[in-house]
Amino acid sequence: MPDLPENAMRSEVAVESENAVRSEDGLPPREDSVLSVRRLAMTLTSRDGVSTEVTADVSLELGRREFVSIVGPSGSGKTTLLRAAAGLRRPTRGEVRFEGQPLADVVPGISVVFQEYNKSLFPWMSIGSNVAMGARRLPKEQRATRVEAALAEVGLTGFASRYPFELSGGMQQRAALARAMVSDPKVLMMDEPFASVDALTRGHLEDVVARLWEHSTCAALLVTHDVGEAVYLSDRVLVLSARPSRVLAEIAVGLPRPRTQRETRQTPRFAELSAEVLDYVEQAGRASGLGSPGAAPAAPG
Amino acid sequence: MRATGTLMAPRGRRPVLLLLRRRLGSWLLGLGGLALAALTWQLLSLALASSIFPTFSAAVADAWSIVTGPVLTADLVPSVLRTAVGFSLSGVAGIIIGLAVGYYRLLRELTSALFDFFRSLPTPLLVPVFIVLFGLGGTMVVAVIVTAAIWPVLINTANGTAGLDPTMLDTARVCGLRGPSLLGRVILPAVSPQIFAGLRVAISVSLAVMVVAEILGGSSGIGYFINNAQQAFQITDSYAGILLLCVLGWLFDSLFLLVERRLLAWQRGTVGGEGDA
Ligand SMILES: Nc1ncnc2c1ncn2[C@@H]1O[C@H](COP(=O)(O)OP(=O)(O)OP(=O)(O)O)[C@@H](O)[C@H]1O
Ligand SMILES: [Mg+2]
Repeated sequence: MPDLPENAMRSEVAVESENAVRSEDGLPPREDSVLSVRRLAMTLTSRDGVSTEVTADVSLELGRREFVSIVGPSGSGKTTLLRAAAGLRRPTRGEVRFEGQPLADVVPGISVVFQEYNKSLFPWMSIGSNVAMGARRLPKEQRATRVEAALAEVGLTGFASRYPFELSGGMQQRAALARAMVSDPKVLMMDEPFASVDALTRGHLEDVVARLWEHSTCAALLVTHDVGEAVYLSDRVLVLSARPSRVLAEIAVGLPRPRTQRETRQTPRFAELSAEVLDYVEQAGRASGLGSPGAAPAAPG
Repeated sequence: MRATGTLMAPRGRRPVLLLLRRRLGSWLLGLGGLALAALTWQLLSLALASSIFPTFSAAVADAWSIVTGPVLTADLVPSVLRTAVGFSLSGVAGIIIGLAVGYYRLLRELTSALFDFFRSLPTPLLVPVFIVLFGLGGTMVVAVIVTAAIWPVLINTANGTAGLDPTMLDTARVCGLRGPSLLGRVILPAVSPQIFAGLRVAISVSLAVMVVAEILGGSSGIGYFINNAQQAFQITDSYAGILLLCVLGWLFDSLFLLVERRLLAWQRGTVGGEGDA
């Protein structure tokens, strides 16, 4: 593997400098980084011994209070990237640092909500017990009140004794969010948390996440297919190329907060930003359509 | 307001009633099937009037006298105990080995050929070997049961564990679960549907193998009793023994389903719909 220069596309990344920083804390996110992924490469080997280079070279910095989204074509290694960033998988190359320390395993400060809610809640536990799983590292006497508070925050007061199958998909995903937030993490990671709910519920869940994040002190890293959702929620949007993935573009959003579904999505700026992100996503998709699946493209980009 | 109130009330109650009626209905139907078989037996035996085919009523009467007589403690109770002990040992060992084999791929690959080999050994062939090892008695019967009944549990547990969703395991890890708490709170419950399926097969295997072992090398037990009765041409006794064996199997299975239904209540919702027995 030749030592590649910093991602070629990175140079033409349009960072609107005046919007790049979140207005309320006024800190440049790069200097106050809670999570940093540096030149990460992931090669996965399937059970029958076939190796695939899923991630070629991805770097990202997540500021302490930042909300960053990652979009990219299906199969571009977004989930793989998230797993590595959470300390669940060892990087093949590169490194992940959490609060300045190299990340070798899962840590209490990072919570993850996975793609399929039906797999991420434990179906044999009540909603309360599920949320309490996220609070295992807290002192025993705090747990019950924290679980209750977390359930209240996602609008599930009174559902603690119900079982996941008794709840709708949207409610289950809110419970998964409560479990992730109950430990008051430094970083909340979400892998397409709203992929399997209807559009109306989706909008509602986006606002639940936005509110949770605003009320907390954590940074958020969201993987999504939905360009509008990425722009609506984020401070920055990273677009990944097709597999093996690189960062194709990085778009600063800078829409004022608090945002609302009705108003924010109507603004011309929102439309502009969404179009910009969509352009890159389509570019990534085209590249993957041309290249033969599994084989690395001759030239990146 | 009142309109919705009256609409809501029966809607809430009806599924329970329906379920109860369906349960009761299927139970009655099952009973009807049994009654039909008994009646056929009775009529057929009366029509044939053969000395080697006793009537149903005679077999039942004989079975009753067995249950209330000395054969109960001499043969029936030992058989039940052997089956229970053999089944329990198979269950515990099958689950432990199955979890280990399912979780560690290296172990799985190391043992798969070995297990396939042992699994395909016909149980009756093992009886003489175990008679040499353990003598004629309960220990031998239990050992034979374990060598046969462990496989459905072990294989099911191993498959279930190997097929655990990585996302689920990752979720558990992110919550800080590891070691015994990972096993107890996530892995075991997640695999429990497969474990229970294996255990249920193991029950019928245990019963069948118990009888075979007692016939081939027992000094007591229901299998020994049936075998003796057949060789002594006490035909009614042997039919009564078989009848008792059926009742025993039904009792074991019902008890098992009762436990399973309680422990796997959460699964009803994920599978979708009420599973009828
Ligand atoms: N354990 C594994 N072994 C080998 N290949 C894997 C493994 N897990 C995932 N892959 C491959 O890695 C690629 C990226 O997978 P990943 O799930 O990270 O993509 P993704 O961007 O999250 O996709 P989606 O948008 O569909 O969720 C896929 O092509 C997949 O086939
Ligand atoms: Mg994914």
